[in-house]
Amino acid sequence: MEMQLTLSPAADALTVTLAGELDSLSAPKLYDQLSQTLKQHSTVKKITFDCQNLSYISSAGAGILLLSLDNFGHRGVDFELRHVRPEVYNILDLLGLTKVMSVSNG
Amino acid sequence: MAKYALDFSATPDNLPIIRHFVQEHLASHVPDPVRRNQFTVAVEELCANSIIHGNHSDPAQKLRLELRIQGQQLHIYLYDPAPPYALHKYPMPPQLLRKDTNRPGGLGIYLIRQLMDKIIVRRRGEKSIYHLVKNLT
Repeated sequence: MEMQLTLSPAADALTVTLAGELDSLSAPKLYDQLSQTLKQHSTVKKITFDCQNLSYISSAGAGILLLSLDNFGHRGVDFELRHVRPEVYNILDLLGLTKVMSVSNG
Repeated sequence: MAKYALDFSATPDNLPIIRHFVQEHLASHVPDPVRRNQFTVAVEELCANSIIHGNHSDPAQKLRLELRIQGQQLHIYLYDPAPPYALHKYPMPPQLLRKDTNRPGGLGIYLIRQLMDKIIVRRRGEKSIYHLVKNLT
């Protein structure tokens, strides 16, 4: 299933709804759209990823989250992944992402 | 022994097909979805490395993936025309961000090595063979 991506910026927060599969094909699209949105909304201080319908993540997908954290975290932007499915949480945990950003499952 | 095979060309567009092939054929052998997903990820990472790095996403290059269930073991074979790389010898754990490029690196190989019990890499004839083994008990 191809990834679907919705970005909803508010005053100082951005909600990113991810659905489908985040892999080497879809990960660059996520990074491009995040970069563009953060350029237009420079007051954003927190990005919340709603992962309820994210069914799969590969190392390329996890890598893009890390790269985003590294690039945008310098601007003081916090990252949070919510409603992460057990399959996806397991991979993020194996890669150590659960130690560098807030990730909640269920 | 159950055996499933998929022939594919070296283009990243085939990665979703590879994932769904693994999910479909392991469904009856590995009922736990978290574990089944781990094997799906291991296969995708293996194939992605061969497609993108080994074969430079050249669709003229043909690869073959085989899944075999032998007793309580899952065997994954990838037959790849590109020269082999030392998948089983890469350093662990990965740097989340590589110092030279400041980009994530080595995450896929790290996952394969975390998720599988045994990795054998050899060259036979004109193919590199990556053989991954996992006990299912």
